[in-house]
Amino acid sequence: MMRIDFRANVQRVPPNMPPSVRKATTRFLGTRANVVNIFGDERWQQLRQAGHDVRLHTINHLDYYLTRLEENVASAGGIVHWARDAEQARQIVLAIAREHNVKRAVKVKSMATEEIGLNHALIDAGIQTLETDLGEYIVQLAGEGPSHIIVPAVHLTKEGIADLFTQKLGVNAPPDPLELCAIARTKLREEFMSADLGISGANFLVAETGTLVIVTNEGNGRMCTTLPPLHIAVVGIDKVVPDFESVNVLLKLLPRSATGQKISTYTSFITGPRRSTEEGGPQEFHLVLLDNGRTRVLRDPVARETLLCIRCGVCLNVCPVYNHVGGHAYGAVYSGPIGAILAPQLLGVKIAGDLPFASSLCGACADYCPVKIPIPKILLRLRHRVVEGDHVQDAITSAPMRAGARAGSFALSQSFLYALGSQIVKIFQAPFQRAGWLTHLPPPANRWTMTRPLPAFNANFRAWFRKRTPAGRARVQKRKLGIGLLFAGIAALGAWWLARRKK
Amino acid sequence: MNAREQILADVRLALKRTTDAPVLPIPGSARIAPRVPGDANAEIEMLLGEITKLGGATRRISRAEMRAALAQIARDDAVKKATLWETQELKAWDIADALRDLGIEIISPHADKRALAECDLGITGADAAFPETGTLLLRSSPEKPRAVSLLPRVHLAIITPEILRADLAPAFAEVKGEGYWVFVTGPSRTADIELTVTIGVHGPKALRVWVMDGGS
Amino acid sequence: MRVQLFLTCLGENFFSSTLQDLVRVLERIGVDVAMPEGQTCCGQPFYNSGFQSQAIAPARNFLRVFAPTDGYIVAPSGSCVDFVRHHLPELFQDPREHSIAQEIAARTYEFSEFLVRVLNVRDVGATFPHKVTYHASCHALRGLGLREESKELLRAVKGLELVPLNEEETCCGFGGVFSVIYPEVSASMMHAKIANIQASGADYVVMGDPGCLMNIAGGLHKIGSPIRALHTIQVLAANGGAQ
Repeated sequence: MMRIDFRANVQRVPPNMPPSVRKATTRFLGTRANVVNIFGDERWQQLRQAGHDVRLHTINHLDYYLTRLEENVASAGGIVHWARDAEQARQIVLAIAREHNVKRAVKVKSMATEEIGLNHALIDAGIQTLETDLGEYIVQLAGEGPSHIIVPAVHLTKEGIADLFTQKLGVNAPPDPLELCAIARTKLREEFMSADLGISGANFLVAETGTLVIVTNEGNGRMCTTLPPLHIAVVGIDKVVPDFESVNVLLKLLPRSATGQKISTYTSFITGPRRSTEEGGPQEFHLVLLDNGRTRVLRDPVARETLLCIRCGVCLNVCPVYNHVGGHAYGAVYSGPIGAILAPQLLGVKIAGDLPFASSLCGACADYCPVKIPIPKILLRLRHRVVEGDHVQDAITSAPMRAGARAGSFALSQSFLYALGSQIVKIFQAPFQRAGWLTHLPPPANRWTMTRPLPAFNANFRAWFRKRTPAGRARVQKRKLGIGLLFAGIAALGAWWLARRKK
Repeated sequence: MNAREQILADVRLALKRTTDAPVLPIPGSARIAPRVPGDANAEIEMLLGEITKLGGATRRISRAEMRAALAQIARDDAVKKATLWETQELKAWDIADALRDLGIEIISPHADKRALAECDLGITGADAAFPETGTLLLRSSPEKPRAVSLLPRVHLAIITPEILRADLAPAFAEVKGEGYWVFVTGPSRTADIELTVTIGVHGPKALRVWVMDGGS
Repeated sequence: MRVQLFLTCLGENFFSSTLQDLVRVLERIGVDVAMPEGQTCCGQPFYNSGFQSQAIAPARNFLRVFAPTDGYIVAPSGSCVDFVRHHLPELFQDPREHSIAQEIAARTYEFSEFLVRVLNVRDVGATFPHKVTYHASCHALRGLGLREESKELLRAVKGLELVPLNEEETCCGFGGVFSVIYPEVSASMMHAKIANIQASGADYVVMGDPGCLMNIAGGLHKIGSPIRALHTIQVLAANGGAQ
């Protein structure tokens, strides 16, 4: 995988992207505010703390809860597989699909399956694989990636979607959301009926019973996990929760934070395959537990809290950087603040080292995160990993850069050098000054002045302060004398050296 | 080492745990106090109010009003084919007979999925209801097939007041040993196209909830 | 009472007059001001850009300068105080240095925090008869939990009309090194903040952080806007004359 170049990606963001993204984020923050206010601030903060504490407890005992989960899924008749990385996970799913002679698969939206590039692998193997969440279905038809985690097609207009349906589905599609939904419903209904395989992720995995919890609004989640005879779930190992009491807490946090609903339309609870033919449901159920870098995230006690994430997307909604660039700029499956901390850990800093810096550290995400992930703290931790390295990964900054930082650190810790520097820069800025501003500076300082001027350096406070007291004035005199003697000494040395050279 | 062993070993190494390391109890701060319910009538009103806000149609109904109510929705929802749970409750209320008397064809809930998808109406009960969010909990069993609340165009749930629960926790305690249950909150919806909320996507286009407790 | 001034590197190099104003305001309300010599930078820029080990030398100088002092340390910047309070002590593994750092951190305050929460003062005798709007700098707001303090001080200024700013708490795009690592995004955020400032109808926008001020003042100057960006302290020092 190629290194993610955030700045280059930003420069390629089409102009319609930020306004559409902002429409979605503003909407969701508004609806969220309504449902959070119903709880009142005290109960909401208690809930957030409970969400944080139960998730952290789980992550800190992950081996225990994973083994319990596995036991319980197996005793319910489910088959558990473990996948170290994306390639292994793809191979596992392909093997199950081939064994069952699968020709057509329907999918519920799942970040984990996007992480492992499952769709391409299945399609390359000749298995028709259809996304069934409306937004995902639309972007799949368009051949694009999702621009927002909850509403993946928010950057497309109804006219654009109507054209897309007309072209790709061979129907006469009017630019009306209700009609477009009806078209999708009809098309996908047949797909649900004839699919051999339903693929999903899961929002939570309940260790106590081996239960998958799947949260959706459209009903496709239920369709994919009820109608086909075979169900495969691909889920990150970080999705485990201990018990249903935890689910109670997390279900109060997730929908409110994500879309501002008190609860989503459908929440499915699935433990193994069906237990009787008459009730309907899949005959066979497989759970693929995915690592794909999550064990690396665990290694750092601070950055480990990244795994508390319940994928609500509220950090994206509130992040000013995300609102100005959209999801594609992050170049990874996960974008926004969570992407900025998760991607560099899953993919490593060599690939995603730009992302911890794709933040102004404003901290709004941490205020909103329903499970209180300390995102700015983790961003700082990962910046340190990128620039100086740590026990998890080596640094990727160049030696000259690090030497420069050492020099700067030295200069800024020596009061004489610092004071001298403040005065020298006042001299050297003269050619660039216009009425108290520096409007054009040479590189690398032009990275500031290309968009706005810098105020002129004017460090004269200390002199002003010192002159207010006799003791201060005396000190100023002594310094001037000292500097005068220093320059005199340098001049004398210079003259002596020149005289020696002439000889 | 296979993938399972490798992953668990890496987890333990990262957490500095051994295979028999103790598991601390879940901290008290990870739990929240349950919701305190209002009186029985207020809870029913809250439940129906929440469902209505989400675009569901609700009413309170008595045994005597059942036939007329079914006739009404048969007309309003243009019902030609219907399917229903085979529970004692629905049998006791003679729902299937009432529908047949209206000229509606009853499809077995165990029929092929395509046949069920052609049903206009699917009737279930519910195993729990949560007023705070307007949610119904539906279990799955031979007499409660999953597709009845999923495939037909309209889903009608007829419930009784004693299934109401103040909060999720007690309901979870009752069902957690089972293989499948689903929470249903309102008709299916999406906002994926320009954020315009559209009701009726893949799940039922309409949800009706009747509380059988003595009357309108 | 006598307080120690923590100049901050941005404050000292770009906003000397604001530091002078801080001295005037404090003296006006009867607080003496000392300026510990030898201070440099606290180390935040290194820490925030990932060079945590390079933050130690400047931070150690900060300890060296402030350890012999006593009493409150006051700074014209929320981000510097946030760094000193929440990150500087953890840079020091040595128990002695760590404890010195904690002791200093415990008495370091942002100016509005000091005036309102420590001295319980709102009216500092200022007059500024203009329409003003307030931008909430991120570190003072979320790092130090300061939401109302500056606004209370501004409301007590004679003649000042405080008008609301849409998206008051949204980041202006400075973010320290962020502004030069991703200049396009930073500028986009700055433009959005400026659009909100223009829409507020105010003639002045004030804020408590030199970083935000450099960014917003520069942006306003570039578009030739008549709106002036000031540090909150400049308004608190004002006594009727034009700025």
